[in-house]
Amino acid sequence: MIDFLPALLKLLGYQFFQYALIGGVLATLACAWIGLFLILRKESMIVDGIAHTAFGGIAIGVFFSINPILPALLISAIAVLGISYMRKKGLAQSDSAIAVMLALGFSTGLIIISLAGGFSVELFSYLFGSILTISYADLIIVSALSITALLFLSIFYKELLCISFDEESSRLTGIPVEIISTAFNIMVAVTIVVSIKIIGIILVIALIVIPALSALQLRLSFKKTMAATVILGITGVVAGLFLSAAYDVATSGVIVFALLGMFIISALIGRR
Amino acid sequence: MVLTNECVLGVENLNIARSGSLVVKDASFKIMRRDYVGIVGPNGGGKTTLFLAILGLIPAQSGRIRIFGQDAPSFSSWERIAYVSQDAINFDSNFPITVRELVSLGRVKRGNLGRPLKRDDWHAVDDALDFMGILDIGEKRVGQLSGGQKQRAFVAKALVRNPEIIFLDEPIAGIDAATQERFYQKMSDLNTARGITILMVSHDLAAVFCRMSKVICVNRSVNVSDISPDTDPNSVLREAYGEHFHFVYHRHECAGEFKND
Repeated sequence: MIDFLPALLKLLGYQFFQYALIGGVLATLACAWIGLFLILRKESMIVDGIAHTAFGGIAIGVFFSINPILPALLISAIAVLGISYMRKKGLAQSDSAIAVMLALGFSTGLIIISLAGGFSVELFSYLFGSILTISYADLIIVSALSITALLFLSIFYKELLCISFDEESSRLTGIPVEIISTAFNIMVAVTIVVSIKIIGIILVIALIVIPALSALQLRLSFKKTMAATVILGITGVVAGLFLSAAYDVATSGVIVFALLGMFIISALIGRR
Repeated sequence: MVLTNECVLGVENLNIARSGSLVVKDASFKIMRRDYVGIVGPNGGGKTTLFLAILGLIPAQSGRIRIFGQDAPSFSSWERIAYVSQDAINFDSNFPITVRELVSLGRVKRGNLGRPLKRDDWHAVDDALDFMGILDIGEKRVGQLSGGQKQRAFVAKALVRNPEIIFLDEPIAGIDAATQERFYQKMSDLNTARGITILMVSHDLAAVFCRMSKVICVNRSVNVSDISPDTDPNSVLREAYGEHFHFVYHRHECAGEFKND
């Protein structure tokens, strides 16, 4: 324990750790913030659905030897639009529409993998995350996509708040509710795909939901809730990164535990 | 220059159907600027449906709606109109938003899309909070407020847009009598001092006949009457509530309520 701090400082000197820190923080900013709106719109399960759907895209990328983030992005965007189409046309409720897309995307992935001759190490890295081995090219993609999502959220935050609070009365204000909602859904897809690289398909939902849920425990104003969401998310992810690198345990798992720690602390503060 | 006798809302032969059955039948009426209109009628009679159709939130089957002289389908100046729905206050009380933030949402419009609210907007927010008497609880979360306070916050959100017409759907159901009285007083002030046209669904018949200038009775059919000191409420109300309806009401009960306190 005595040489814990020097060990951390030493970690900061490694390039792989710097990449992980930059990518992790940027992706967490986007994830945590978008998660707040998703929770307020009671749509957080869409994350789990889209993440699994993205697996189909990842498999396509691996199979054709292109960067899997790109086909994953495409498939996720189509899935998000498909879910809102099914909902609008009355084909399915939100949750069942998500279930259909999840099954479709994941089974596409399974079929492609079996054609390719089974699971590879690379595929496992997308299922469970691989932030500590993130390449420079991936870091650039993760950063660019995170910044895009962050820009969208900061430009339209007041409209998004308005729509999340009361969609019907937002229509009366004359703001283009449909366009903003569709753009938001595409940003959700972007954010999910980015965080697959960080934490993996199965645990993406933790990165998106837990920071906002923790911040909501504190019962603050909307502005302060946004700030708290981001601070809690980044603290959890950075703590998780250091602990997992220092003790050489699965990064995604440690990040989730760190985030859950944040949640428990927030809940205790909120209940006082 | 605003004409005081300008027709701000005209409805002609309006039919509205919901899930196959006719809810509002052949409604025709005119609302003039500065009218203070009470909309009464039994539950399920179509009051809310009438509002929603006028606001374009549900389609009309046939007929014509003109807002500020423009046909409703081509009308686009929705910022001139504000609406407080019946279930506005029944929102998730855990939603992280303060009263001031809630009211500021009333300033979100097409014109400032993607831009932060300006200092003027926040001044308007504080004015609306002040007018509704809730400036002191501006930093409280909306979920912590009492029913009456919540309702005033939602009306402030409607007012902050500086609307010319405001639609209120049963804004004070389930609130104690003294609070209701203060609320009607506020609305009278708004109508006379700011010249805002008000349409309010209400079950409080005494308040309607004491304070308002017009009454619309809605029970599938829609009948409109002006309210003057010699209006007999019963002859008006029987149109909506049926022949056996009797509303005990004495004009002199109103005498004190017109005073500004």
